[in-house]
Amino acid sequence: MEYISLFVKSIFVDNMIFAYFLGMCSYLAVSKNVKTANGLGIAVIFVLLCTLPLNYLLNKFVLQPGALAWLGDSFKDVDLSFLSFILFIAVIAAFVQIVEMVVEKFLPALYSSLGIFLPLIAVNCAILGGSLFMQQREFLNVGEAATYALGSGIGWWLAIVALAAIREKMAYSKVPAPLKGLGITFMVVGLMGMAFMTFMGISL
Amino acid sequence: MNTNSNVYTIVYTTIIVVVAAAILAIAAMALKPKQDANIKAETISQMLAAAGFSSKEDLAKLGNDQVLKMYSDNVKTAFLIDAKGDKIGELETEAGNIELQDNLKQENKNIAAGNPQLPVYVFTKDGSEINVIPIYGAGLWGPIWGYIAFNASCTEIVGAYFDHESETPGLGAKIKDEAWFREQFKGQTVNFSKPDDSFNIVKGGAPKDDKSAVDAITGATMTCNGLDAALDTWFKAYMPFLQKKAGAEGVDEDCCGGDCCGGDCEGGHQHEHNHNHQEG
Amino acid sequence: MNEDLKKTLLNPIFKGNPITVLVLGICSSLAVTVQLKGALVMALSVIIVTGLSSLVVSLLRNSIPNRVRIIVQLVVVAMMVILVDQVLKAYAYAIDKQLSVYIGLIITNCIVMGRIEAFALGNKPIPSLLDGLANGAGYGMILVIVAFFRELLGSGTLLGFRVLPESYVPNNLVILPPMALILLGCIVWVQRAVQKDLQEK
Repeated sequence: MEYISLFVKSIFVDNMIFAYFLGMCSYLAVSKNVKTANGLGIAVIFVLLCTLPLNYLLNKFVLQPGALAWLGDSFKDVDLSFLSFILFIAVIAAFVQIVEMVVEKFLPALYSSLGIFLPLIAVNCAILGGSLFMQQREFLNVGEAATYALGSGIGWWLAIVALAAIREKMAYSKVPAPLKGLGITFMVVGLMGMAFMTFMGISL
Repeated sequence: MNTNSNVYTIVYTTIIVVVAAAILAIAAMALKPKQDANIKAETISQMLAAAGFSSKEDLAKLGNDQVLKMYSDNVKTAFLIDAKGDKIGELETEAGNIELQDNLKQENKNIAAGNPQLPVYVFTKDGSEINVIPIYGAGLWGPIWGYIAFNASCTEIVGAYFDHESETPGLGAKIKDEAWFREQFKGQTVNFSKPDDSFNIVKGGAPKDDKSAVDAITGATMTCNGLDAALDTWFKAYMPFLQKKAGAEGVDEDCCGGDCCGGDCEGGHQHEHNHNHQEG
Repeated sequence: MNEDLKKTLLNPIFKGNPITVLVLGICSSLAVTVQLKGALVMALSVIIVTGLSSLVVSLLRNSIPNRVRIIVQLVVVAMMVILVDQVLKAYAYAIDKQLSVYIGLIITNCIVMGRIEAFALGNKPIPSLLDGLANGAGYGMILVIVAFFRELLGSGTLLGFRVLPESYVPNNLVILPPMALILLGCIVWVQRAVQKDLQEK
């Protein structure tokens, strides 16, 4: 039950885009058509799902105050939490690099459709944001962390595909010249965010 | 030099990482005392705000030293109690080496394990005693905690202050931001006759005659349920102590219990709350 | 001041503003614009991080192995961000609490990486420093404008002081996250109505 609740919550209520504005740069830049948006969305789900549990373990066994206790009593009081930003981003960057190389070598078809998005993802705030929220929210086990990662990723994917669909349609509407492109997109995202806020009232 | 050779790349990356880590370690060590002082002053000002000495906003304007001094000036004693409500240790209250039992996360685990060391901070205000105790629990997204101030006989709540780590701004965050929410705790009591569900935060408005319930915040159901559970858990842990205090002051517990619980509707709430605990 | 430097310094603030023109760095920071104070601190932090990271990367630019370029850059940026975070925790604890994870997210703020890639890697340290500072400032300016309206309309206060009369009923909608985007849309609208050459076809 808790997993389902957490899963639904992270997709709708605490949507990475609409509630926290995470991953906005690539969200706005790559949402011009549904096909590429879909590709980027899936890449985000994948990277989030892999790096967040990794960072969870890193946090639990290395970074937290007292996390190094398994090394022996003398390490009990070591607090490395100030290194968390640097290690999280290193894990993400390294992971993205490795995935890129592996996919390029063994799955060229997948690479040609996803490959161009992978470098973009290392600097996608949604990925690092996911890890930082994970650290703050103190999930109980890897399962919860992975559920949260999957939910957030799907939420992000949903948001970008929805926006891309709207922007495809919007190409045919009359928008005041100064608002065209970026301006109206901001507003559309704002309105979508308001629509998503209705999910907050749901008690799960 | 060939900057693309493997050896160069590895050596270079290693040096960069080591240098960065060294700089950060030095900075972290140098700033640690100051950061810890901030955290201590923050904890103390939450207590002072709950006890009603000053508002949290005004306390934030004072320096750390002023806050610590205010604490030392007004605190009478601070001690630790065990699960039976017996005193097991003292906490230093002199300015300069104030001791706090502020690892609430650990104590929360200890309560579940049955071996807590719970702090009680006793302040003197306008000639009478105020007992301040902490509470801690899980909100929608992260930990929530707070301090509850009781009168001398622990039969009436005289103030409360709540804080959270990552509740949604404008919704769950209101437990901290909205003064009306914590104001309504004033004058309420802990329901001694129901140790498992001694306080309620009621969605849709608390019954007027229920002295152990307050209104929930609209749109922040999960946070309020979490807070409700935290209050129940911690009040239960403090129950022996609170009852001893109340008994010593000659207050009839049964009378209070009878007044407090608002009849049948209470059972319904309890069901709802228990149900929600599992997900919160 | 020589012309090039002046252009480096002024361009990012208006004509090449990182947020409204280049669409960089919206990620981490719209959520910190509920109150002016938080926005000012965030703006200052970003200015410091962009400036110093650009300076350091520019100093290292000839020695960085190309293959691990991104990781080295991220390490430098992360180091700056952690330093800022530690200093804030020590000297501005209340604000650091309010900004919570968003300080950490400066690391992936596209402005920082974007300017390092586009400018600092190919330019001398001093212009890189200025470019970083100016881009941070351009970003901070938008942040402060948004925060100004959100705090004024959402709470009736500015920097915590009451500005509008008590009779003004705060507009809670403005405090909610989506309004930040709509306000940003309005800023883009105004800017492009004035500078017609920025309009998209």
